[in-house]
Amino acid sequence: MKITRRELLISAGSLLAYSQLGSLANAEVNIAAQPGDQEMIASMCKALYPHDRFPMNIYMDIAAGAIKKGNADTGAKISFRAGLDGLKINKFDKMNFKKQTKYLKSIENTPFFGLVRGHTVVALYDHKEVHKIFGYEGASFDRGGYKDGEYNDLSWLPEPRIEEHPDLTAFLDDSSPKKYASLKIKKTF
Amino acid sequence: MKIDKKEKAVVVIGSGPGGAQVAYQLTKQGIPVVLLEAGRRIMKEEYVNEEWPAFSQMAWLDKRTMTGNSRIVKDFNGLPTWLVKAVGGTATHWAGATPRFLDYEWKTKSTYGSIDGATLMDWPIDGKEMKPYYVKAENAIGSTHRGGRPPLPANNNYKVFAEGAKRNGYKFYATGPYGTNAAPYDGRPASIQDGFNFQGDKSGAKWNPNVSEIPKALATGKLELRTNSQAVQITTDSSGKADGVLYMDTKTKALHRQEAKVICVAGNSIETPRLFLMSASSRFPNGLANSSDQVGRNYMRHLTGSVYATFDKPVNFFRGETMAGFLADEVKHNPKRGFAGGYYLETLALGPSFLGAFLDPGKWGKKFADMMDGYQNMAGMWIVGEDMPQANNRITLGSAKDAFGLPAPNVHFDDHPNDTAMRNHAYEKGEAIYKAVGAKQTYRVTPYPHTHNLGSMRMSAKAKDGVVDKHGRCHDVKNLFVSDGSVMTTGAACNPTLTITALAIRQGEYLADQLKKGNV
Repeated sequence: MKITRRELLISAGSLLAYSQLGSLANAEVNIAAQPGDQEMIASMCKALYPHDRFPMNIYMDIAAGAIKKGNADTGAKISFRAGLDGLKINKFDKMNFKKQTKYLKSIENTPFFGLVRGHTVVALYDHKEVHKIFGYEGASFDRGGYKDGEYNDLSWLPEPRIEEHPDLTAFLDDSSPKKYASLKIKKTF
Repeated sequence: MKIDKKEKAVVVIGSGPGGAQVAYQLTKQGIPVVLLEAGRRIMKEEYVNEEWPAFSQMAWLDKRTMTGNSRIVKDFNGLPTWLVKAVGGTATHWAGATPRFLDYEWKTKSTYGSIDGATLMDWPIDGKEMKPYYVKAENAIGSTHRGGRPPLPANNNYKVFAEGAKRNGYKFYATGPYGTNAAPYDGRPASIQDGFNFQGDKSGAKWNPNVSEIPKALATGKLELRTNSQAVQITTDSSGKADGVLYMDTKTKALHRQEAKVICVAGNSIETPRLFLMSASSRFPNGLANSSDQVGRNYMRHLTGSVYATFDKPVNFFRGETMAGFLADEVKHNPKRGFAGGYYLETLALGPSFLGAFLDPGKWGKKFADMMDGYQNMAGMWIVGEDMPQANNRITLGSAKDAFGLPAPNVHFDDHPNDTAMRNHAYEKGEAIYKAVGAKQTYRVTPYPHTHNLGSMRMSAKAKDGVVDKHGRCHDVKNLFVSDGSVMTTGAACNPTLTITALAIRQGEYLADQLKKGNV
């Protein structure tokens, strides 16, 4: 997969900017404002990270965030508008999954793709409903932490030793520079 | 206590494991210290047990640029490391592993010999000299499995790791040593298995200076902790000695000056050399204390990488402590494997939020989604190994400016072929561990921004080979010290915090003695 520098910058940038999403300036919304636009972006989010277990409303939430970012500045607006037009012209939401993947591959190097993908991978897996579906229980501090029988409830493997092996100290202590200098490096590079 | 800015004080810059430890060692002996910290003090009650909000709360997000061939340069440009801007420094975010250097890891040039492209060098100190300081550091942190302290219990992630290790014939696995209390110690409680060590640890079971050395140093009545105070320049007098620190109030952007008789810098491997380079003057045109041209060079980050695997049955690896499994069998230098040095494998759990961002940066599609879909049945480990020092892996002042108009640091990082060979070996062994207990799918995760950053102000016997001497004292400026992991001549395989702590205790004791004798 070839990745352009610009797209990667967008990806890393989306990671840095993700937490500041709520504080973006209220730019005038003039892209992705048509009926059906959010659904179209949501279908792209789902094709990027397809989970049968996720209801469409989750992808709609992610699309809303992506659209907000698409409206964040003029440069984003321009590229987002062009990308969205492409989805519409090609009726992306009506394609089967295989064709969607092929289409996404063809636009992989565009700033629009970089913005939507970068946002989706961070926002989707940070979504509270996704955590629930994954069985991720998150914070436990307020209820006193995970209990005995919770954090260690795995029963399909035997109980392991938790102490260090009695030979460990000798193993680590046997590390004199003189002894190890006698070993020669086999150059493989 | 309040120390006048006109008073020639002992000034420590940075309150992470190095700076806070030196400040504590000095104040404990009655020596007043001004401790400048660029971030604010976040009390443990304020820590947030959610991955991204906690990241926003404490991560160092000031502008940084990156160059080099390492994949992280492409994947996370702008975020070379995962450091914390708050009292306690990056230990606020550390997972807690506390292994020691092996004896030959202090002497890698003598042991490994010459390796093309690597700037290996022996430290001017050795394992024998450091041994008592390691004991003190383990007692300061409260390392499990050490000093009679009990091990942490096995969590689910460890059960998979340990059984897989056993079936591969490994012996040296255990649930530590870790700097998270298994039993109450030093006024801090035992772990309640609530995880979120990367987010500060609300219970205080995990050691970090913000819950240990800082309150202890404040209790001596000899510490003035100045938060939101970011050092931007060290000034020198006509004799070439350091005589003050210019620092900025990060809230008001007002510039202040603290007069100094001794300065200890502990800003980490990026900010420490940056400060020295920003302190260039007519007397020190190449940057402060940089006659060797070694300031900023030989930056290391450990080779790192992760292996994740999914299984038929649930693991729920997120429950309990973030890191509580440790394997030492692959740490020994064994050139038959095709590389110099060694590595540790350490269990590590991420929430879905971080895992999505780090599992395979840039990737999308069904395979990626399927791996994430197996979250509940997933186990994971982190690889930590010795990376080669290289002269051009370095911190420089870039052309970009940060929000304060200061030159942003540029971090250049190329992988050395030895690093790549070791990482590939570790991936294979990590996958073998999981396959031995029935992994359905395994995933090799490339390095993402993390806490380990070493070197860039290396310690050397001779002034021409490095920046600081065996006590962390600058060869060129006798009342200027470096007190963080940037002094590391080479990085060894082990997680660095214990060694940073041991070096800082040693330096603090030395400096207190020198101050009492009037030698500084």
